[in-house]
Amino acid sequence: MPSVKIPIGPQHPALHEPALFDLTLEGERILEMQLKLGYNHRGIEKACEERSYIQDIYLLERICGICSHSHSTAFCMATEEVAGLQVPPRGQYIRTLVAELERIHSHLLWLGVAGHETGFITLLMYTWRDREVVMDLLAMLTGNRVNYGVNTIGGVRRDFTAEQLQQILKAMDALEERTKYYIEVAASEPTLAKRLVNVGYLSPGDAMKFNAMGPTGRASSVDRDVRRDDPYLAYGDVQFKVVTDTHNDVFGRTLVRVGELMESYSIVRQLIAKMPDGPVKVKAPRKIPAGEGVARYEAPRGEDIHYVKGNGTDKPERVKVRAPTMGNLAAVGKMLENNNLADVPVVIAAIDPCFSCTDRAIRVTDLSKGRTELLTWKELRQHGIEWYRREAGVDFSRLNKLLAAR
Amino acid sequence: MSLLSKLQSWARRKSPWIIHFNTGACNACDIEIVAALTPRFDVERLGVLIKGTPRHADVLVCSGPLTKNVRARLVRIYAQMAEPKFVVAVGSCACSGGIFDGCYNIDGGIDQAIPVSAYIPGCPVRPEAIIDGVVKLLSTLEEKPAPKKAELPEKVAAHG
Amino acid sequence: MVNTAEMKQSLEGKFDFLAGKVAVQRERRVFVEVPADRFREVLEFSMKELGIDWISTLTGLDEKETLAVVYHVSGAHGIVLNIKIRVPRDNPVIHSVTDLFPACANYERELDDLLGFVVEGLPPGNRYPLDDNWPKDQKPLRKDWKPAKAAS
Repeated sequence: MPSVKIPIGPQHPALHEPALFDLTLEGERILEMQLKLGYNHRGIEKACEERSYIQDIYLLERICGICSHSHSTAFCMATEEVAGLQVPPRGQYIRTLVAELERIHSHLLWLGVAGHETGFITLLMYTWRDREVVMDLLAMLTGNRVNYGVNTIGGVRRDFTAEQLQQILKAMDALEERTKYYIEVAASEPTLAKRLVNVGYLSPGDAMKFNAMGPTGRASSVDRDVRRDDPYLAYGDVQFKVVTDTHNDVFGRTLVRVGELMESYSIVRQLIAKMPDGPVKVKAPRKIPAGEGVARYEAPRGEDIHYVKGNGTDKPERVKVRAPTMGNLAAVGKMLENNNLADVPVVIAAIDPCFSCTDRAIRVTDLSKGRTELLTWKELRQHGIEWYRREAGVDFSRLNKLLAAR
Repeated sequence: MSLLSKLQSWARRKSPWIIHFNTGACNACDIEIVAALTPRFDVERLGVLIKGTPRHADVLVCSGPLTKNVRARLVRIYAQMAEPKFVVAVGSCACSGGIFDGCYNIDGGIDQAIPVSAYIPGCPVRPEAIIDGVVKLLSTLEEKPAPKKAELPEKVAAHG
Repeated sequence: MVNTAEMKQSLEGKFDFLAGKVAVQRERRVFVEVPADRFREVLEFSMKELGIDWISTLTGLDEKETLAVVYHVSGAHGIVLNIKIRVPRDNPVIHSVTDLFPACANYERELDDLLGFVVEGLPPGNRYPLDDNWPKDQKPLRKDWKPAKAAS
């Protein structure tokens, strides 16, 4: 369909504006990286002190649109600890079910993003189509595709019916089949390997030194997972493997996430098989007593930690949240050392960062050329795709056709 | 309207080039915007294309509340787009600050910095509502000439 | 691997100023307040003898007469040890732990930006999380700070 281009004058990159990433290169090789964060700092922790605990559940859910259940659950857990409340088992199971469904749709989203960043576009289309299965389930169970609002202090606000649980089981079967196919493709396609193997290297020693968490850490042998080490919700009742890998690179981070998808399907089936009867919540007082609570939760991206301090009123004295991406950004500089500019989008995407990369500016200073320029994320991605096509013959057109024909 | 501007108006309506900018959102709306591109919703069949740079875009699709850190960048992006240009506020945060209204680092919705042509509320907005809002906006182009820079366009509210 | 009860015993046994002061809120949740000038010792002991190798985050608190920091640390055993120190409100100086935990840098910068702590030994880097244009004397997480006071 033809489109009319409106010509405008030459583009002048505004070098004064803050860039998220500041890269110093020698030719194509990265020497140094500086991060400037805080662009989406909203002032949520302060706002929590000015709103009631119930209002804070809805606020914290919206820290991040993909980890929303992680944040609302961690907050409720920390508050319940301060108030001495015991959530009934059926409520715990429901929270855990939603948690694993969230992990599934988050990892499927990530697989699609990985495809997008490398030029493997069909992978994005396929995984996001699969993800819609989970979005539909969540909308059916909770009323919304995102930001489910399922938690309250003391438990959950909705119960699930036997029919709904059956639908979840059917969806797990379908998704497991498709995921097995992606594993086949990911493990055996040399084109994908060229973009991911030895890229973003993080040694096990460095991963531990930086406390790299979630799949990022586990792909460098950091054998930590809050669900196993510090059990919460219903995780004590189910069997699952903590998936680690020894590749120490982006390829490893991909394998860990795909492995975790398979574990999540199994966890969901176990939860439904063992689902206890009974109430889904206990009544919570409006005023939460003085005291402190610390909750940890294994979000799709890694450890999420919430600290809540009560003061006997209906508003918290202090709420502190450290979302997992914050914990992993410190390791990114290490990962990019001696990598190429062409690898930047993939390495950053591989920590599954919880911020939108569609618009962040990247400032690149090439010492060998004596020049600084401002790139958009899209320009950086294109550079990566073209560089690899030129230097390593990586071309996804055959694979895109293959997957599209299926 | 001259023949050329009628043609441009029609072509723009049939095939808008979009730039997507997130001012500080939780990403829920951003993901629904991208989901609108995937096969299930598939806006590409309508000729809608997402571009990376302001200079090729007709429509600025914005998600997120206006944070102080990002304000200057948003204004600059808007300035870099050529006339006629339109701005769509996607999600309750972009419309008014949403649930973050009152937080110390938030100035409200994006209309506190740039003129907005269409507001699509929702938390987050469903992909169908995003498509519906963009199509509604573009259908108004046939009825009247593109708004001048100095004018504040009428609000075209879409259901969320 | 050490368990919750053993962690309490060990800390109280090693440091006489902690006798009777280590609180076990529940399994895997230990809370203790430590004098600011003994903090480093307690942290290093925990890393050497109590399996502490992980820092989850730092929480800064405005407690009216004093400012406080809670260090949330843990290890493979899954126990979260929450170590709180207090410093005077008019001289809130703390020392960086980035030599032990490099990932702490932004957690410590946040204590400066939002609460006004002075962190000695913090490696150079961009401020976090506030914008460069935010006035440096406005500390939004302080209890006496209200938005109207900030220059926009």
